[in-house]
Amino acid sequence: MGSYVIRRILTMIPTLLVISMLVFVIIQLPPGDYLESYIAELQSQGESVDEQKIAFLREEYGLDKPIYEQYFHWVTGMLQGDFGYSFEYSLPVSEVVGDRLFLTILISLVTIVFTWMIAFPIGIYSATHQYSWGDYGLSFLGFLGLATPNFLLALIMLYFANVYFGTSIGGLMAPEYIDAPWSFDKLVSVLEHLWIPVVVIGTSGTAGMIRRLRANLLDELQKQYVVTGRAKGLPPGKLLRKYPLRVSLNFFVADIGNLLPQVISGAEIVAVVMSLPTTGPILLSALQSQDMYLAGSFLMFLAVLTVVGVLVSDLALAVLDPRIRLQGGLEK
Amino acid sequence: MIRSLLKLVSLSLLFSQLISTVNASDLIETEFLIDKVSSGELPPVIDRLPEQPKIVSFSGEFEAGQQGGQLRLLMGKQKDIRQITIYGYARLVGYTPDLSLEADILESVDIEEGRIFTLHIRKGHKWSDGHPFTSEDFRYYWEDIANDPDISKGGPNKKLSIDGELPVVEFIDELTVRYSWSQPNPFFLPALAGASPIYIYKPAHYLRQFHKRYQTKERIAELIDHYKSRNWVGVHVNRDRPYKATNPDLPTLQPWVNTTYPPSERFIFERNPFYYRQDSNGLQLPYIDSLVVNIASGKLIPAKTGANESDLQARYLRMDNYTFLKQAEKRGHFNVRLWSTAKGANTALFPNLNTKDPVMRSLLQDVRFRKAMSLAIHRHEINQVIYFGMALEGNNTVLPGSPLYKPDYQTSSAGFDLAQANELLDELGLVNRDDRGVRLLSDGRPLEILIQTAGESTEDTDILELVHDNWLKAGIKLYSIPSTREVFRNRIFSGDAMMSIWSGMANGLPNADSNPAPLAATSRYQYQWPQWGQYFETSGKGGHKPEIKEVNQLMQLNHDWRMASDKSEREKIWHDMLEIHRQQMFSIGVIAGVKHPLVVNQFLHNVPMTGFYDIEPGAYFGIYKPDTFWFSEVRR
Repeated sequence: MGSYVIRRILTMIPTLLVISMLVFVIIQLPPGDYLESYIAELQSQGESVDEQKIAFLREEYGLDKPIYEQYFHWVTGMLQGDFGYSFEYSLPVSEVVGDRLFLTILISLVTIVFTWMIAFPIGIYSATHQYSWGDYGLSFLGFLGLATPNFLLALIMLYFANVYFGTSIGGLMAPEYIDAPWSFDKLVSVLEHLWIPVVVIGTSGTAGMIRRLRANLLDELQKQYVVTGRAKGLPPGKLLRKYPLRVSLNFFVADIGNLLPQVISGAEIVAVVMSLPTTGPILLSALQSQDMYLAGSFLMFLAVLTVVGVLVSDLALAVLDPRIRLQGGLEK
Repeated sequence: MIRSLLKLVSLSLLFSQLISTVNASDLIETEFLIDKVSSGELPPVIDRLPEQPKIVSFSGEFEAGQQGGQLRLLMGKQKDIRQITIYGYARLVGYTPDLSLEADILESVDIEEGRIFTLHIRKGHKWSDGHPFTSEDFRYYWEDIANDPDISKGGPNKKLSIDGELPVVEFIDELTVRYSWSQPNPFFLPALAGASPIYIYKPAHYLRQFHKRYQTKERIAELIDHYKSRNWVGVHVNRDRPYKATNPDLPTLQPWVNTTYPPSERFIFERNPFYYRQDSNGLQLPYIDSLVVNIASGKLIPAKTGANESDLQARYLRMDNYTFLKQAEKRGHFNVRLWSTAKGANTALFPNLNTKDPVMRSLLQDVRFRKAMSLAIHRHEINQVIYFGMALEGNNTVLPGSPLYKPDYQTSSAGFDLAQANELLDELGLVNRDDRGVRLLSDGRPLEILIQTAGESTEDTDILELVHDNWLKAGIKLYSIPSTREVFRNRIFSGDAMMSIWSGMANGLPNADSNPAPLAATSRYQYQWPQWGQYFETSGKGGHKPEIKEVNQLMQLNHDWRMASDKSEREKIWHDMLEIHRQQMFSIGVIAGVKHPLVVNQFLHNVPMTGFYDIEPGAYFGIYKPDTFWFSEVRR
């Protein structure tokens, strides 16, 4: 097991290296660079462009250097904890992202808990009451959530929350609390705003989870050990909790790998539509304006979390389910 | 209770104003700053204003008001806070609403022979931190920034030179600066008055601490390390951003001063205690104490505005939000107004006369073809379908508000006449058609025109959809190609693009003294002739020489205008150029005069009922002096 873990960690290094190259190249693929999109923006708004200033910025940002040099500069910087400089914000990347990380994690965690709270009981209910009215009805609701475009739901909910509850549109708190120190009122304001993105992002996640839990559980419920348990007179609730439910949770642990990056990135599109102060909109606008160090460092951060998350979920699975560990051993 | 208290306060304010009108020369201390004044942190108002402040008087729909209140604005990006520098519009010289120039920050400007400009600074004028504003600040710009070999590698801003000649700058005394050239420079004052002006003055006392010339090597090294910059120039340039307003420590002369360090989602601008304007009642301007700029996604801004989250909003609102806003008017306690825009055409088609395809190029360069395309556009239909019939139908030229306007410029070849269009196309030899009815080019290919769009607004694609149907009746097949703005431009520059759709002349309200360069091939950003424009821009190093006689005439006229000594001559040149455009249809205007919706809090006064909303000229709200906007009821 020990050597397995070390080997996995070692393979992460080339993986991340390749990812970093891909990220860098893909960000650079569209024609032009940040300054060209910047000039285009200024001109489209009728503002004057000072060619000399642009030339100065090109040099200052190192955009006049060949691409491999820029890449090398970026990667070595990251190793030393310097994520580069955001052109758009004229600030180091860490300062731009740092502020928003907390609220992003807050939304994501609440959303995940919300999803679990809805999906778990429904998933178990629909598996144990297969083909009942309840199963159909709840699955229908779940699919409805999956099928409704998130951004549309977001807009509708924003509008009604504003008209009926007077909640300010978009954002995570009323404007007067932005940059204010934390207080009880600020918390209330955050909670007033938080539920909309949570419900919007959550609804699409629940359907998937309901179906997976239902399918996995149904597989197990047919198995002989369940029949045996039932024959020996175990109460149905205890039987369910102790055996088939635990086995059917594998998919759930395997999901942790995806969960980690999700927590940080937030749901980009919903965040853009609802103008949430999370990292999603930053990433999107950084990609659009070719603010390459901001976009690149952020994507790298997500990549690291994914790779780590996959490792964690693999290890957790091995601990949880002896069958998986055994197969790993055979492979060696 | 609180409300009635506030009323009391505003009543007493009104009362104090009544007294002040009796004795107009008396200055009244600003309520907002009273604590700071009594604690000695700030000098009293008499010492904060220049000896000769700019006194604003009111007439017509405008009236003197009261100080106080907070104005909320919405912006789509953090970078947009530079709009406050545009709205504030404190410039050395500035435009008035009728677009004439007047001294603003400066007390006066003396002009000799159109080439010697003597600038007189107001005595006692101070930066927002209280430090005197003097000719030293002009000297710092000229010697330590514009002519510093590290900061300005290529020398001073190109806009300060005329035909490559830089001005002679003299600092005559503390309050007098002189810029002179050997030939007339009609661009100097307009550049100072621009919405994004050239700053020929900088707060020397503040910036000196970042300048290599004034600091020791060790100190500079410390600064570079502290600001994580590449070199000292980076440190200096990043502190010195008067237009972007990102550095709250940078002293300014603007009515409001940014107090929030980025990054943030909410920026607060507070009144500049040393602002140089006052009203006739002895109140120092601006009336409004603070501006709050909330950053929200641009797409949400119309909805947020409708929910009464902005007191003055035009940015990010569009004509298609008008009905929604009108509906929300009552609930949101605001008024929706429609201002006009100053663009020569809000939408125009640009045939790329430099396109690579030789067959298409010779066709596009033929004026008959351009006229045929124009005649086959049903502008009235577009106006009715997309703009509620409220826009102007016509060419890309000057607007009716301009003294240079002639109806013929706008309407010539702009009516819908398919018969004539077909006739012109037949005349060009495009008589064979394929089974779709699309005409065939001389080399047998169908006449398919690809129009590039920047992919930013659905308006463009809607218009092209309508154009498509009528062009097909003339045997021209249209395809619209959406892309992103950078790709869009690069295709046009390289000649890959045949045609593009974009907005027309930026300034549709010129007078004889406005620069006519946009009418000649002077920039590669003119999408009908990018390479000829580049040729001019680079003085012949890049691009190609114009090969059409009429374009060369325009170039000559543009040159003549600069040499012209009197106004009537300039006016004649403008008309000659507009006439060439009328005959030649180098760009095909579709629609102009599209209104811009504006949302104004119902308690906000002095925002004109009608105006025009454009950056250049106009600085958006700038020329209507937002420092004179005031609230009759201060928000709870």
